[in-house]
Amino acid sequence: MESPGPIGAELRPEGVSAANACAIKLQVFEGPLDLLLHLIRLNEVDITDIPIADIATQYSEYVSLMHELDLDVAGEYLLMAATLAWIKSRMLLPPDGAGDEDEGPDPRAELVARLLEYQRFKEAAEQLGERTLEGRDVFAPQALELEPVPDEERALAVSLVALLEAFRRVLARAGGTGRHEVTAEPIHVRDRMLVVMEALAKRESLDFESLFELEPGRPWSRALLIATFLAILELVRLAAVRVYQGLDAAGVPEGTIRLRRAEGPGADDWAAAVAEIT
Amino acid sequence: MDREGQKRIVEALVLGAPEPVSAQKLAEVVPGLEPDDARSLLAELGREYEEQGRAFEIWEVAGGYQLRTRPEYASYLRLLHRERPLRLSRAALETLAVVAYRQPVTRAEIEAVRGVEADAVLKSLLERQLVRVAGHREVPGRPILYGTTRRFLEVFGLGQLDDLPTLREVEDLLALPADGSAPPPPVSATGDESGDDAEMEPAPELH
Repeated sequence: MESPGPIGAELRPEGVSAANACAIKLQVFEGPLDLLLHLIRLNEVDITDIPIADIATQYSEYVSLMHELDLDVAGEYLLMAATLAWIKSRMLLPPDGAGDEDEGPDPRAELVARLLEYQRFKEAAEQLGERTLEGRDVFAPQALELEPVPDEERALAVSLVALLEAFRRVLARAGGTGRHEVTAEPIHVRDRMLVVMEALAKRESLDFESLFELEPGRPWSRALLIATFLAILELVRLAAVRVYQGLDAAGVPEGTIRLRRAEGPGADDWAAAVAEIT
Repeated sequence: MDREGQKRIVEALVLGAPEPVSAQKLAEVVPGLEPDDARSLLAELGREYEEQGRAFEIWEVAGGYQLRTRPEYASYLRLLHRERPLRLSRAALETLAVVAYRQPVTRAEIEAVRGVEADAVLKSLLERQLVRVAGHREVPGRPILYGTTRRFLEVFGLGQLDDLPTLREVEDLLALPADGSAPPPPVSATGDESGDDAEMEPAPELH
């Protein structure tokens, strides 16, 4: 993101009207911590001894200005304003007891720790951005779309019916008495998706049925079997995995159903999709 | 096959491969080639390109070798790549920095460092394959853990994660005078990168 330039010290927030807005070049801050660091630098104060009252006031002025200029003020800014007010109040009140300055922790300590931690990563980010980036500064030959075709089996779209059939066999083998188990641990389809993808990462391809035998030693309840099946369906839908089956001499699908990770740019989006499932 | 022949094949492989190709891989594909031979051939190629003033060079990134254009031509290439330029905002870079140095890390941990929500940025980084899902943490809620990808190493020109420059210590940021004349700061020193910040919990208001 381009930073055209900070609001200079010469610009007093209360002197700005909406009409002047377009003439102002506002530095876009990456959040309240970034704004605070800016204020600390601007005021040339020691971060280990922040004059909270002054800084809090300036901070609020900036936030008001951002409001006035119709900038999107995220909730975190307001939260920080409240935090600063809280710290200010604690600094003013004497600690319980004698009112001795050395008593009690510095109410600013936690904030300062957060600011310093953020600064470490802000600088690391700047360093990263200064590197020579592939796709921005240097360019590599474009990726060729290579789709390895297994020799033994021809890839074939396996119908949903075939998958359901295969799953029914899995359930039957597991002793489908339909008994309900109440497990303490909740089962998430999302987690099963991760487990399946991890298993597929280690091997070229896997039998459909073996995906219900992962994690040996773990009791497989009906709920877990179903969640795993749903996870497989979801991964197929996301095109993260390919499901295929051999063909017999007559060209009829037969044999075990196998899965492998899909190749190609779309396939890696599954991670983003999984992360969105809560 | 003579050395020159091997060199040409290595060159072809590095040019045609969709991603950085390792010396091991080259040795597997080229008859009679050992990984160390591959490395020296690549070094020779690199020198030749330099001497001939070619517009490209060989990089060692993400555990392999890759042909890349020289930075001088960036502006021209950007014109070609107008549709999908690589632009990394400050938010993206900061998030990447946290993930890179702290991985595996949860969204909440990223948000605690940056002080802002990480959702949108994470989604974008996932889609660009710079960040990946690295499992989940075995705590209530089982939050997803994030880590960087090989593509991240490629894009940032890193051979491996260890090649990341060291994170600056908090003590360096404070730049306390060596004679110890300054009063001890009220801050708890947090030089450790283990992620176990027991002394530094996120503010109670931030989830």
